[in-house]
Amino acid sequence: MFLQLLFNGISLGAVYALIAVGFAIVFSVLKFSNFAHGGMISICAYIGFFFQKTVKPTPPIWVTILFTSLCGIVMSLFLDRIVYASIRRNKSPKNYYFLSSLTISIIITAILNVFFSKNPLAYPMLFSSTTFNVGNIRISRMDTMILIVSVVLLVLLIFLIDKTKVGLAMRAVSIDPETSKLMGINSNFIILMTFSLAGILAGVSGVLLGCKYGVFPDLGQSMMIKGFIASVIGGLGSLGGAIAAAFLLGIIEMFWTYVMGSLSTPVMTFVVMLLFLFIRPQGISGRFAKEKV
Amino acid sequence: MNNYQLGLIMNSCISVIEVVSVFIITSLAGMFSLGQAAFMTISAYLTFVLAKMLHLPIILTAAIGLGMSGLCAYIIAVPTLRLRKDYFTLITMGFGEMMASIVVMLEKYTKGSIGFSSIPKVKSIFWIIVATTIAVIFFAWQLKRSRFGRMCIALKTDETAAKSFGIDVYHLKIKVYVIASCISGLAGILYGLKNRVITPDGFSWNLSAEMQIFLFFGGTNSLTGAVISAFGLKLLPEMLRNLTLFGVNMQEYRTVIYCLLILLVINFRPEGMLGDKEMSPSRMVRAMKRRLKREKS
Repeated sequence: MFLQLLFNGISLGAVYALIAVGFAIVFSVLKFSNFAHGGMISICAYIGFFFQKTVKPTPPIWVTILFTSLCGIVMSLFLDRIVYASIRRNKSPKNYYFLSSLTISIIITAILNVFFSKNPLAYPMLFSSTTFNVGNIRISRMDTMILIVSVVLLVLLIFLIDKTKVGLAMRAVSIDPETSKLMGINSNFIILMTFSLAGILAGVSGVLLGCKYGVFPDLGQSMMIKGFIASVIGGLGSLGGAIAAAFLLGIIEMFWTYVMGSLSTPVMTFVVMLLFLFIRPQGISGRFAKEKV
Repeated sequence: MNNYQLGLIMNSCISVIEVVSVFIITSLAGMFSLGQAAFMTISAYLTFVLAKMLHLPIILTAAIGLGMSGLCAYIIAVPTLRLRKDYFTLITMGFGEMMASIVVMLEKYTKGSIGFSSIPKVKSIFWIIVATTIAVIFFAWQLKRSRFGRMCIALKTDETAAKSFGIDVYHLKIKVYVIASCISGLAGILYGLKNRVITPDGFSWNLSAEMQIFLFFGGTNSLTGAVISAFGLKLLPEMLRNLTLFGVNMQEYRTVIYCLLILLVINFRPEGMLGDKEMSPSRMVRAMKRRLKREKS
């Protein structure tokens, strides 16, 4: 039983990690809490759902994931164009970023609510048999797929940020956008790049969450909170910390649900977060994103 | 006026109280809370559930509810307000989620998601709500003009500068948050008294976000702007009751309309409808005089 729960927890943590990283990557570069990510996840889940439903013959899941993440990129660039670009141009305070992203998240959920109602839609079955056995633990194929896709994506992302020139530029912009402009980095391009990465992550996690929980308008928002909590525990703006915290959170949640039932998990995650802030306010990563004067 | 219109005015008054509480947090101290609805939940449920279980008068249980809101706010504020502002926002949001699930968990007492409806009927509820609203607005107005309020505004404008003037920023923020949460709690109790039923869905995350939107629409630095926009925007969907779009009643689009309005405001008039001007009688008289003079000359 222990191994079973551990595996399920890791798989859950992998999805949380995708969400937390999508949130943290925008936070680390632009220094605002991107609430729109939740709405993006919801809408991507719907896009993936209808893509899978309408296109004949039914495409394999990886095609859906690719298509949805492309849609994620297009959508986040579109949002940047109509909302964030004018804030950047006016050099308005960070509050406005925050408020617009909040608004976008709500608007997406509200529109989905009007057109598709609150009832969850189920993804078509992906696998003929839902589970397989390893030793005496039973593993769900869905969880395995989710785990593999998430881990591959996270590894690619970390490679991009740590090893490539674009990643270096992103890290520079996250430290100081004005100075990196002086150093010949196209800050605007890097910001668009960050939004696109967040879009890809939203697209992939939308499809995965849709497969796991069904598609409904509040899907993104309710999952988003877990992502927020993970990135707070990991230390805001730190990708490594967010990933570690997400896996930790997933495992704790699985065990807690097994022992105490699923109703009290929001209470548990909140208390874990509050305790963590008491004991180690700088987060797991230890890099404390302090506000500068 | 018939009952329907009175009900609309009461709804608007309650939304004004909510927005005043957000005004105190955001406009005075420059913090963003996305969990104010949680304090409405706490005090409303405590008030009515205790009143029913222990057969106590509502006034007494309401005091317990408000006290509990303040206490919870204090517990959240102590670890969070030392950190940067973003933590505060995320944690208040998590708190809102937690309260909703606690209500469902304690189904035995709260009736869970069906909603708690054994709320006693109160006479002349309309006047109670209107009087409370006016009192709350007056309180916030005095708070803004007092030494406390000026300290808060200094803190909002520049935290480091405020610190260097000897303002105890950390404790000031805690006080602001506790006061505002008690006001939210008051709104929750009035909401329960008016609707005679409270559900966890009624105090969802969207309500907290809606308050923030109302506030920004009216202007973050103007109390009168916030009050007017809260009152007006709450009434707005009622005016669209008879219209339909894509075969769906316009009221369904309420949230969409709010969001579009706020996006327009952010893009074209970032400081809100009233900016940082306040509308007060003396100011209006002065403006009238100026206009008369201009017409004469």
